[in-house]
Amino acid sequence: MNEQLVEYAAGSLGQADRARVEEHLAGCADCRADLAGWALLAEAAGTAAAPPGPDLVRGALLRSALVEPEPVTRRPAWFSLSLVLAEARLVRVSVLVASALVMALGVVMAAMPAAYDGWAGDVLALVAPVVAAAGVAGVHGPRRDPAFEVVAATPTSPRLILLTRIALVFAYDLVLALAASGVVAAVGADPSGVRELIAAWLGPMALLSALSLVLVVWVGADIALGVAVVLWALRVLAGGVLVDVGGVLDVVRAAWSTNLATVLTAAGLLAVAMILAGRGEPLRRSRATHLL
Amino acid sequence: MESDDAALLRRVARGDSGALTRLYQAHSGRLFGYLLRLAGDRMTAEEILQDTMLAVWRSAGTYAGGSTVTTWLFGVARRQAYNRLRGAPPPSPTEPLDRADPAPGPDELAIAAAGGTPVAGAIGELPDHHREVIGLVFVAGLPLAEVAAVLGVPVGTVKSRLHHARAALARTLATQGVPE
Repeated sequence: MNEQLVEYAAGSLGQADRARVEEHLAGCADCRADLAGWALLAEAAGTAAAPPGPDLVRGALLRSALVEPEPVTRRPAWFSLSLVLAEARLVRVSVLVASALVMALGVVMAAMPAAYDGWAGDVLALVAPVVAAAGVAGVHGPRRDPAFEVVAATPTSPRLILLTRIALVFAYDLVLALAASGVVAAVGADPSGVRELIAAWLGPMALLSALSLVLVVWVGADIALGVAVVLWALRVLAGGVLVDVGGVLDVVRAAWSTNLATVLTAAGLLAVAMILAGRGEPLRRSRATHLL
Repeated sequence: MESDDAALLRRVARGDSGALTRLYQAHSGRLFGYLLRLAGDRMTAEEILQDTMLAVWRSAGTYAGGSTVTTWLFGVARRQAYNRLRGAPPPSPTEPLDRADPAPGPDELAIAAAGGTPVAGAIGELPDHHREVIGLVFVAGLPLAEVAAVLGVPVGTVKSRLHHARAALARTLATQGVPE
């Protein structure tokens, strides 16, 4: 009945339906009140103004004869590749070099004589997630991205651009960390093998990077980097220095390890970041002008 | 009526300009009402209507009978409206503020475009997707099911937009102190 009340007020009901609605209205005060609301809206909408005459069609035909239709533009097949190449040029070299240097330092540390069993894995697990999270924090936002304004003015979706760039940076850090694990295993610093080494950092790296990404998109790069480093410092402290109270540290360790839950959480955070990225500006960007 | 429209559209697809004129005369009132409500001023609405007829002339052959001709026409008009309104030039830089502008302000223009009453002006304040539904339901007089088909949303969404628009209108009128 509700739907028909709208159509009744709009005058778009057929004869038979009109009669049925009127019959119902006579005995239903609720519907009469509801109809009054719709009638107000109909009144506010106004009636259709007189349309222009058939001259308008002549004008359209004239335009059709004079103006060629615009060709349908489609993205070429190599669009994805060219987007990746273009984005690769926008990732700052200093970020790449710094990531590689920190990772190399990690390899040197891991290859040093082991202080205890699993030393090499712990060192890589300390370095790789922070390197990736810091790299991710540096890829988005008006102050970190030299081409931010230009990119924002292109028709390509900001989500696609962010996803491409994250994929690039994360892939780079992933390759670095894999190489580091390979080197550490090759020099025989860790007897447990490459697989164990990779498992030590892979889950935490994905989770910390995804968390960093959400914060970058939501509030900005500085906060994201700070939060990522603090969270990771807490995790590292939980590895030995802090005293375990009531099994809290076990939960922390489980949360920062390579398992299905961490991977799924990271994927979920990535989805959240993508949704936020399409919604416009991070909180902090509204204050573009600094007050003294 | 509907089969007449489909026949007209087939003749348009074969290049019969008289059929285009007849199709226009049959639907221009409702299309124009919808576009006027969406665009806000008569000149823009006329431009979009001409864009629409041009698009119909060029793409009549793509009508496959999957929807009613009315739904198809409103779909074309809606696409043209968004093309043109999205490409609208940004408002010009502000004039010096120290003298009053004798031209009518946006409120007056919106009220005038919507029929000249403050109640009608309140419609101009609503967001695009609300004004669009109001234009389709109350000005063009399409059944809700057809509105849903034009917009590509479920009928429930159309209803909820209508309810939101009604509530927003009531709020606006309450703050303006306009007697209902």
